[in-house]
Amino acid sequence: MAMKPEDVLRVIAAARGEAVCVPTMTTAPAWRTIAPNDLSVVCVGFMGGASSLGLGIALARPERRVIVLDGDGSLLMQLGSLATVAGAAPRNFVHLVFKNGVYHTSGSQEVPGGMDVDYVMMANGAGYRDAYAIGDLDEFRRRFPAILTDEGPLLVELHTTLAAETPMTAPGGVPFHQQVEDLSEKLRRP
Amino acid sequence: MPESIPAALIIDTLKDTFREARAALAAEGWGAPRQEHLGWIVSVPDTHQRTVLAALDKERAIRVLTCATEDEAVAIAAGLYIGGEPVVLMIQHAGLYASVNTLRGVAKDGRVPMFYMIGLLNREKDKDPRESRHSMVRYCEPLLDLFGVPHARLEGPNDVHWIPEYYRLSRARRGPAAVLVGLETS
Repeated sequence: MAMKPEDVLRVIAAARGEAVCVPTMTTAPAWRTIAPNDLSVVCVGFMGGASSLGLGIALARPERRVIVLDGDGSLLMQLGSLATVAGAAPRNFVHLVFKNGVYHTSGSQEVPGGMDVDYVMMANGAGYRDAYAIGDLDEFRRRFPAILTDEGPLLVELHTTLAAETPMTAPGGVPFHQQVEDLSEKLRRP
Repeated sequence: MPESIPAALIIDTLKDTFREARAALAAEGWGAPRQEHLGWIVSVPDTHQRTVLAALDKERAIRVLTCATEDEAVAIAAGLYIGGEPVVLMIQHAGLYASVNTLRGVAKDGRVPMFYMIGLLNREKDKDPRESRHSMVRYCEPLLDLFGVPHARLEGPNDVHWIPEYYRLSRARRGPAAVLVGLETS
């Protein structure tokens, strides 16, 4: 059974502590409401870049957990980043892939391969330390503490429904350049 | 006529650039670095600068991260910047073309300081790059001009001073700046 992405995000927001989060695309509007003004930077304007942006932060601040809230369509756009992340092997890196099988923002066209694409297998093949799928909210809630502490890089494929909002139906938020400066300032003076 | 630049000279210049960057970061409140290296080279390997990359393999003071694409390299560099780490992008002109949207979205619109070292593979020694018969060489500076990216040419050993100057420029302008490596490094 698929999870509502907003429910997943609430679990993350409640338990993440000082972890930095990098949402993108359809996780962005809900995250803006669920976790406003916190340790986050939204990957906006360069689709597919969330995992790389998160990797850079994880390498710069190894003492902090970094959680990328990626989408399946976004990840497909820069699929090679799986190998780059695995090669860099950041122990503090968590890659959550919200898998709904479509490009929700642009009108729910099916992504290449749809729901059949196996990101767990891809992450394992690339060399992530661990990868698995979760499709049930109770299981996600139960396993999230371990997701926050297990050695990375870790990928979790989350089977989700469509989000209530997309960046097209709920535009706005702090401009990317301001988010960059805000997060950098928070990391500089924790 | 342009001359090849020795890898050792580029690496020494990068080290000096990173030391200066570290001092600037400390002054901004980042405190002492928690890691031993001076800074990062984020690269998609460039044939033109291969002697530099080969020498960097043996260099402990500079960390090199090889990426699958230049899009990744730019986004990773942005993350390193957010986290207070000095970083230089080392790519080829074709990689610049491949990652134009990320240049726009991250370095321009995102106002993230981004210092590029771009190799002009196949640049003819006796021709101005803008007059090259190779489009990949000829279009590089016009593309940077189009996006408002300041750039300088490294045409020989005497030009390495542009590396720290354009690194500083990228920080001062909060955006991209580039040096173009004219001939294969030696």
